[in-house]
Amino acid sequence: MTTSPQPAPLSRRDLLRRSGLGFGMMGLVDLLESGTARAAGQPNFAPRAKRIIHFFLNGGPSHVDTFDPKPSLQKYAGKSLPQTLLTERKTGVAFPSPFEFQRYGQSGIAVSELFAKTAQHIDDIAIIRSMQAQVPNHEPSLMLMNCGDSIRTRPSLGSWLMYGLGSENQNLPGFVAMCPGGHPVKGAENWQSAFLPGAHQGTYVDSKHTEVDRLIENIRSPHVMPEAQRRQLDLLRTLNQSHRQGRLDPRLEARVQSFELAFRMQTEATDAFDLSREPQHLRALYGDTVHGRQTLIARRLIERGVRYVQLWHGAGQPWDSHENIEANHRKLAAEIDQPIAALLSDLKSRGMLEDTLILWGGEFGRTPSVEMSGNKSKLGRDHNHYGFSVWMAGGGIKGGTIHGSTDEFGFAAKENPVSVHDLHATILHLMGIDHERLTYRYSGRDFRLTDVEGEILKEILS
Amino acid sequence: MHHAFQPLQILTLLVATSTGAQAAGDARIDFSRDIRPILATKCYACHGPDEDKREANLRLDVRAEAVKEAIRPGKPEASEFWKRISTADPDDVMPPPSSPKPLTDPERELFRRWIAEGAEYKDHWSFIPIRRPDVPVPATTNPIDAFIQARLRHEGLSPAAQASPPTLIRRVFLDLTGLPPSPEEVAAFVADPASYESIVDRLLASPNFGERWARHWLDEARYADSNGFLGDGLRPNAYRYRDWVIQAINADMPFDQFTIEQIAGDLLPNPSREQLTATGFHRNAALNTEAGVDKEQARFQNLADRVNTTGRVWMGLTIGCAQCHTHKYDPITIRDYYSFYAFFNNTVDRDEPKSKAPTLAELDKDRRQTYVHLAGDYARRGPDVMPASLSALPPMKRPTQPEPTRLDLARWLVSPTNPLTSRVAVNQIWGTLFGTGIVSTPDDFGATGEPPSHPELLDWMASEFMHKGWSRKRLIRLIVTSTTYKQSSNHREDIAEIDPLNRLLSRQNRLRLDAEILRDSALAISGMLVREIGGPSFRPPLPEDVFEVGRSSNWQASPGGEIYRRSLYIITLRSVLYPLLTTFDGPDAADACVRRERSNTPLQALTMMNDPAFVEAAQSLAARVLHGNYHDTKERLTRVFELTLNRPPRPEELTRLKAFFDEQQKRVKAGGNEALKSLSFIEKSVATPNKIEAATLVAIARVLMNLDEFINRE
Repeated sequence: MTTSPQPAPLSRRDLLRRSGLGFGMMGLVDLLESGTARAAGQPNFAPRAKRIIHFFLNGGPSHVDTFDPKPSLQKYAGKSLPQTLLTERKTGVAFPSPFEFQRYGQSGIAVSELFAKTAQHIDDIAIIRSMQAQVPNHEPSLMLMNCGDSIRTRPSLGSWLMYGLGSENQNLPGFVAMCPGGHPVKGAENWQSAFLPGAHQGTYVDSKHTEVDRLIENIRSPHVMPEAQRRQLDLLRTLNQSHRQGRLDPRLEARVQSFELAFRMQTEATDAFDLSREPQHLRALYGDTVHGRQTLIARRLIERGVRYVQLWHGAGQPWDSHENIEANHRKLAAEIDQPIAALLSDLKSRGMLEDTLILWGGEFGRTPSVEMSGNKSKLGRDHNHYGFSVWMAGGGIKGGTIHGSTDEFGFAAKENPVSVHDLHATILHLMGIDHERLTYRYSGRDFRLTDVEGEILKEILS
Repeated sequence: MHHAFQPLQILTLLVATSTGAQAAGDARIDFSRDIRPILATKCYACHGPDEDKREANLRLDVRAEAVKEAIRPGKPEASEFWKRISTADPDDVMPPPSSPKPLTDPERELFRRWIAEGAEYKDHWSFIPIRRPDVPVPATTNPIDAFIQARLRHEGLSPAAQASPPTLIRRVFLDLTGLPPSPEEVAAFVADPASYESIVDRLLASPNFGERWARHWLDEARYADSNGFLGDGLRPNAYRYRDWVIQAINADMPFDQFTIEQIAGDLLPNPSREQLTATGFHRNAALNTEAGVDKEQARFQNLADRVNTTGRVWMGLTIGCAQCHTHKYDPITIRDYYSFYAFFNNTVDRDEPKSKAPTLAELDKDRRQTYVHLAGDYARRGPDVMPASLSALPPMKRPTQPEPTRLDLARWLVSPTNPLTSRVAVNQIWGTLFGTGIVSTPDDFGATGEPPSHPELLDWMASEFMHKGWSRKRLIRLIVTSTTYKQSSNHREDIAEIDPLNRLLSRQNRLRLDAEILRDSALAISGMLVREIGGPSFRPPLPEDVFEVGRSSNWQASPGGEIYRRSLYIITLRSVLYPLLTTFDGPDAADACVRRERSNTPLQALTMMNDPAFVEAAQSLAARVLHGNYHDTKERLTRVFELTLNRPPRPEELTRLKAFFDEQQKRVKAGGNEALKSLSFIEKSVATPNKIEAATLVAIARVLMNLDEFINRE
């Protein structure tokens, strides 16, 4: 199974630092010496979680229809809210949730029927009800949630984790982004490494496929024997190295690593992505659907030491229910409620929930007022970046907790507003990283995921 | 402690606020660099161009408005603006406490100093008319070098040495034609490096030039051979537009004419069939033709796509933001948007009668009135609007008819007073030849885009481009014959810290080949490439599972040699994209793709190692050399090397290859039939006594084709 990352001798690192090549060359030196890329970093302090599965409900799930009940909307049904804020489009009167809420667990936290199965695990979950993004638009909010900056090109959370902690499995990409049927909006920028070494970027897998050979194109070749390929790669490495002399281009090193990883993936990935190796009862528990399968694959990946798996709901922005939210959200939630609940049970029974962090959320929430088309209600909700919910469960999380709140109607964060930087700082903290110390020197200054902000949400830590 | 976690050293709030902001001690505040970015991200949402969202009737994006009440130039303490941003009173402070974007102290200080210095505004750089800057002294043979080197001198840097002749010839071949040179072409250039310019001229005249550069334009034109959406119906004649692009680029059609024909070819007097075909540009968008689709809504979306694409491709503006609301950062109102939309509101889709090429036409009866669509909702009509260009840009010449037409719009785009089109076009070409544009956000020349690294050079080239008849080939020739272009791309340790992205161009950039060039190179060196230009798109062999999902269930690879044509001719079905291309960042044709990513993932390595297209190319390369007229293994190895990497092997490389060959040959002999599996595609063409040598050469060819040197242009 997993192995602990081995720190390399300090002297070599110091040497590299002094030579001005920076961290990006580390892998290269490892490669030269041991012939394989090695897990690079180690945490600042004992981590509470070693890996992350992130359910990304792209498009923006409605918080008032899922994890942030607002009975007051019923009172105002059909009437204007006392205060509405500017959003992207015109919204009208209060729009009470069409979904039933019910209390669950010891904590008695109310969750809507959309996530009734997930809610069975509410005592393991900490809900943050006071998230805020910066603008009511998808693209900048996706960039903010993934990379910590709405506008400028910055490395994604997964890339920072790879850079800071390395992967625990040298035979699989340490950062995997799965999205069935194509890319989400902003595509590969959501898992970009930006100025971090290229080997840290996310590897995209189209999880609409079922066969290993299609999930990962060209994972097998009928034309070459593995042993012959190994020897070819050895020669490849030698020739690449002799060519590299005088070039010292970090991207060249990333290329070398990608070939080595690809070679090793041929054995390991065929296993990791092959769900036929799972017992029938587990496959049934997750469900034999696109989302059930991608969630089960995620578990198989983290079990093998993959650091960060992002599970996107689908191509484009499926959760963007500007109209007819009742039918749309019901359909979407039905696709993932069962897999999420199955994952939580499964991890728990394996003892893995203790050191696995589950993150659930979108790029923003939705308005409590109804979206209008002229004078007509669209029975949907507009984007809302002023207040929305995300939740976390697993390693280091105090379950059955609610952190922060939105106002009476769910329009804006009220108590303890939480920025995306705060969320990132907390995630890094759980992974054993001080977000102020995870820096990368680039273009004359040190950069961090949380820029100059970020407060750890101590209240949700166990 | 691990070194990755360095203590924070110089991270100050100030440096973090803006890409160009200088330390607080800097001489004078620069509005564009220091102030506008803060205003744009933290104030304009409520005090910017958008009338509907404007609070307290205050706008801060126009100086005349801002100085009426809020700002008293020279007197920050007397300015309401300053009071409101510096007060501690939560009822008065701006931005209000509910804003997710409060100001930081250094930002307040910048504002204070800016007001104290007179609160000068400056138009956004890309909206300022293009002037022709003087070429810096000392003059160089090529003005481009004068600009680049002046800046390098200013930064205390010197340019890199010139690339070696083999590197340079490979670079210019790949950049201009998308195909590598033959070993003979390399040898001739190495023997006579003075022939560079005549080689450039030959490449510019080659029909492969149009194929290579058409691909970029087709990315921008979101070209595909199918409709998209669930049905993804075929567009069997879409290729006629693609061929028009290739021919126009090969004929060096002036970019202004190229623009006019695509936007409004149908409105030219007595349009030729080609001019009609050119209007296929706006027939390329995805189209939802399913039953049950709201036709009016689909039409609205389709027209909005035409507006947005025109804005991005020609003007580098994210004009689409104004579809629902006045642009938050750039001076584009929702009224502007629908006035622009009005140019397209009476277009109908027709097909050219003879060729059946998809074209645009203008309705003459039952014309539609255009309205502002509130919140971007097709069903919500606001005030009616007339066709008009963007209000923040120089106006159109008075139209010939009572109201301006698409033809007027096209001419306005390429009029010498339009500050955007030439800059955007020149930047695209530069970006193709250096990997990054002078503006690194080629589709955002607005307030949230990156400012140009060399503004004078950009303007000089934009002006030169127009002066020299909007000739693509002349501009490309000027660039590729510059010393700047010909520099070595080797990593420079001395700039790694100060200019890690090489924005100053103190060397060339090393670029991962585009998906198409990678496949075409493999075909070219293996001798399999079929060079026929134009015609219907072909279907490459695909693994079954790919098209099952895409619903085009009757996939059949095209017959004969067609599958070995250049990648430009691979059929683009929006629901069944060819994995080899998408893995290497080929676009999905959903929207205009103005800039491709250059990612690097292990999936690419798997493709290079195992994709049947590359496997077959390696085998054919081996067979090509085996069947050639060479004396011994060493000659054959040298030949494989030269074909793949466009340079002779160094002695130590040849020694390594030979050692590998000997070792490999032993193993193939010992492995028997199993080892001959690697001959799969070429097995029948190799005579039995040669099989062992062939299998060994295949292994060598595979290695060389997977080398970083092959995958990149240096």
